[in-house]
Amino acid sequence: MEGTGHIAEGRPTSRLPALAIALLLAAFLLAPAPFGKPAAAAPKKVLTVATNGSVDSLSPFLAQRVLPTEVHRLVYDFLTNYDPKDDHAVPAMATSWSPSPDKLTWTYAIRSGMKWSDGVPVTARDIAWTYNLMMTNKDAATANGNFVANFKSVTAPDDSTLVVVLGKPQATMLALDIPVAPQHVWESHVSDIGTFSNDATFPIVGDGPFILSAYRKDQYIQLDANPGYWRGRPKFDQLIFKHYANQDAEVQALKKGEVDFAGDLTPAQFNSLKGAANITLNNGDGKRFYALAINPGATTTNGKPFGDGNPALKDPLVRQAIMEAIDKPALVNKTLGGFGVVGQGYIPPIFSTYTWSPPATETVGSDPAKASQLLDQAGYRKGPDGRRTTPDGKPFTLRLYGETQRAEDAQNATFVKEWLDAIGINVSASIVDQATVGDNETAGNYDLAFDSWLVNPDPDFVLSIQTCGARPATAGGSFPGDNFVCDSTYDQLYAAQISEYDAAARAGLIKRMEAQLFTDRYVNVLYYPNTLEAYRNDVIGSMQMQPQPNGIYDGQDGYWSWWSATPGAAASSSSHVGAWAVVAGVAVVAVVLAAVVLLVVRRRSTAQERE
Amino acid sequence: MSGSLARSLREYRNHRAGVVGLAALLLFVALAVGAPLFVTARDLSAVYAPGAPRQPPSSHFLLGTDAYGRSMLAVTLWGARISLAVGLLATMMSVGIGSLTGIVAGHFRGWVSTLLMRVTDWFLVLPTLVLAAALASVMHRGIVTVIIAIGLTAWPGTARLVRAQTLTLEARPYVERAKALGAGDWHVMRRHVLPNLTPLILAQTTLSVSAAILMEATLAFLGLSDPTKVSWGTTLQLAQQVGAVSAGDWWILLPPGLAIVAVALAFTLCGRALEATLNPRLEGKG
Repeated sequence: MEGTGHIAEGRPTSRLPALAIALLLAAFLLAPAPFGKPAAAAPKKVLTVATNGSVDSLSPFLAQRVLPTEVHRLVYDFLTNYDPKDDHAVPAMATSWSPSPDKLTWTYAIRSGMKWSDGVPVTARDIAWTYNLMMTNKDAATANGNFVANFKSVTAPDDSTLVVVLGKPQATMLALDIPVAPQHVWESHVSDIGTFSNDATFPIVGDGPFILSAYRKDQYIQLDANPGYWRGRPKFDQLIFKHYANQDAEVQALKKGEVDFAGDLTPAQFNSLKGAANITLNNGDGKRFYALAINPGATTTNGKPFGDGNPALKDPLVRQAIMEAIDKPALVNKTLGGFGVVGQGYIPPIFSTYTWSPPATETVGSDPAKASQLLDQAGYRKGPDGRRTTPDGKPFTLRLYGETQRAEDAQNATFVKEWLDAIGINVSASIVDQATVGDNETAGNYDLAFDSWLVNPDPDFVLSIQTCGARPATAGGSFPGDNFVCDSTYDQLYAAQISEYDAAARAGLIKRMEAQLFTDRYVNVLYYPNTLEAYRNDVIGSMQMQPQPNGIYDGQDGYWSWWSATPGAAASSSSHVGAWAVVAGVAVVAVVLAAVVLLVVRRRSTAQERE
Repeated sequence: MSGSLARSLREYRNHRAGVVGLAALLLFVALAVGAPLFVTARDLSAVYAPGAPRQPPSSHFLLGTDAYGRSMLAVTLWGARISLAVGLLATMMSVGIGSLTGIVAGHFRGWVSTLLMRVTDWFLVLPTLVLAAALASVMHRGIVTVIIAIGLTAWPGTARLVRAQTLTLEARPYVERAKALGAGDWHVMRRHVLPNLTPLILAQTTLSVSAAILMEATLAFLGLSDPTKVSWGTTLQLAQQVGAVSAGDWWILLPPGLAIVAVALAFTLCGRALEATLNPRLEGKG
C-alpha cells in the first residue's frame, strides 16, 4: 500500500516500471502458496480442519494448549480411552486392569503387537519409562505432572504388564490423560526435555491412529494415517489442521471448500451457515461451564488473608443477593442466542454421570426483589440516590473483571452491571487482557470475575481447584486453584471421592460436593454454552460424535471423530486447494495489472494538470 | 482584529467544501449534544433492549438492532458522544503538547531545541497506533486512558510544524525589534509568536481531530477501550466479536462505519478550508 501513496505524491515517471514490477512481485508473494506436497500419483483423501489454536510445544511432556494436546491424542496412544457413546473408560494400550484390595496397587495388562511408526514394538516398558520420567524430572512433569503426583512407583515386570503403586487411593486411574512417548526415541532428549519441542525431524515417531508428518508454526499441522494402527487405519489418508487467525475467515474458508471442518462458531456464524450448500451443522452439548466467581477474600493455604477483595462478599447474604439479581435464562437467550443450557450445578449436563441440579425450590436467580430484600437484611441500605451503602456507611462498589479474549465476557459484563445497578450495587466493569485478569486474580485484587473451565470426563481436576489446598502457599503466589474457596465439608467430600473406587458411590459423593459448592455461593454457574460446529458433507461422509446423541466432533476426549471419519463423494487430494491458489493468483495479477494501468493513466492526467 | 476575522469568515465562505464540512460538523455536534433528548437510558440498556438481537432494518427499527437487541439508530446516535468527546479532548491534549514543544524548541534553539526535537523524532518514528495500543493496554482500561493514549502519541507532527513556523516568525524584523527593546523570552513567545501561530494551530487542530476519532475507533475495535460504553468503535468491535461479519449483518457494521467516515471527512474539509483561508499561499488550490 506504500506504493500508491508515493504515486499520489508524484514520483518521477521513470519509477513506474520498477513499481509495477514490485507490485507484481508482491502479488506473487501474496497469492496463496500451493498447500502441502505436490500431488502424488494416487490422489490422497485429505481432511482439512480449520483451527485458530496456537501451539506452545509439540512435546508431549510440555504441551498444554488445546491444539497440541488434541494432536497428541491422535499421534500417541494412551493407557485408556473414553467411550464415544458415554465417556466411560475403555481399553486402549491397556486391555484390562484391576486394583489391589488395599486400593494402592493397580495392575494393567498391556496390549501386545502394537508398533511405533518406526517399527519398534510398543511395550509396557515405554509406559513405565514415560511415567517414571514425569515422576523424577520436574521439566517432564510440566504438562501432565498432576496425574502422577500421587504415584509411588511405576514398573513393567514384563512387556505386557504395568504396575502402579500409589501413595494413597486414587479413583482417577482410568483417566490418566498422558501421551506415552517411545523410550528409544526420547531417551536421548532427557537432558533437554524442558526445551526440546519435538519439531526437529518429521515424521515424528508415534503409535496413535495418525503420524505427525509436517508442521509449520501458525500455518498448519499435517498428520498422515497410521496404516498399522491396532484399532484400524483411519479412512482419510491425511488430516490437516490449518491455522486461521480469524474466525470469520474460517467460516468463509468452509463455505468455499478450503477447509472441511470449522468448530467453535459464534451463534451468529452458526445461523449464517444454515441452508448453505453441502454444509452440515452440529449444535452439540458443551463441555464447558461459564460462571461468575465471587472473591471470598483471598487467603493462603495457612489462612493468611491478602488482596483487596471487598469484605462485604464474606457475607453469604450479599453473595446470594448478587446471584438472585442475575437472570441466567436471559444470558442464554441473548449472549448465546439460545445455544446453551442455563447453569445449575458445577458439572455440565453432557457428563450425565456427575451433573447435578438443585431442587426446583432452591434455584437461584431472576429474582431482583429477593435480592433487594437480602441486601436490606444484611444491612446494605439504599440511600436517597438509589445507591446502597455498606453497614459502616461507605458506598458499596464492586469491581467486575472479564477477558477480552472471551467474546461473551463483554456482553455478559454489560448485563451483570445493569442487573446489579438495579438493586443498588455500583459495578465498575473492566474487560481486559487475559494476563491482566490473571494477575489481578493471583493478587486477590478483584471482587467479581467471569470464569470458565473445560470439564474432563473425569471431573477430579475441576473439583480439585475449589479445595483449600489449591490456594497459594504464599500471598500473591501462583496457585493451581480458581477462586480461593476453602470449605472443610467440601474438602472432606473431595478426599472421600478420590479414594472411592465404586463408580456409583463416587458419583454420589461428587454430586454432594456440587451441592455444597452451590450452598457456599462463591461460584455462580451461569450457563453451559453449546459447542457449535459445521462441516462439509460432500467431503466428510460420517464421523463418530462423543458423547452420543448430542455430543461434539472437535475437541473430543479421544480420537473418535477424525479416526472414524469416512470420505464423502467430493473428498480427494488437496488439488482443490491448488486450483484455488491458481485462480486466486491469476485474479490478483489481473487486479494489479489493472491498477498499474489506471495509475499510469491517472498519473498522466495529473501531470498535465500540474504543467 | 474583528475586521480580519470578518474577512477570514468571508474567505472561508468561498470554500464550498469547507462550508459543507462545517455544516455537517455542526449537525453532528447538535445530534451528539441533543442525543439525550431522543435516546433514553432504556434504549441503551442491554437488559431492557427493545428488540431481538441482530434484527435487520424494519419500520420499527430503521437501522435494525445490534447484538443486544438495541436500536442501531439509538446506538449510533449515542456513539457520537464518546467518539466526538474523545476526538476533541485527545486533540486538545496532543495539539497542546505539540504546540508547547514546538514553540519552546523554536524559540530557545541550542541544546533545548536539540533535546526536544530528538524526543519529538523518537515519537515520530514510532508507529503511533502501536504506541497508543501499548499505552492503552498497560493503563487502567477506559475512556480516559484512550484519550491519554492518543494525546500522548499524536503530538510530534504538530511540534515539528509549530517549531518551523516559530523559526520563521522569530526571524522577522518586529521580533528582532522587540528583543532589542528588551523583551524577555516569555514576552516574545506570548505576545509576538503565539498570536501569529494561532491560525496554524487552529487548522492543525481540526485536521488532528479526524485522526483522533479514527484512532479512538481503532483502539476500541482492538478491544483496548471500555467495551461496556457505547461508542462507534466498541459497536464495531462487538459486531466483530459476535460474528456479525460472517453472518452478513451489514446494518450493524455500516452505521458506525459510515458515521466515522462522515465525521472524519467533515473535520478534514473544515481543516483544509481553514488552512487555505489563513494561508493565502494555498489559495486556489483548496
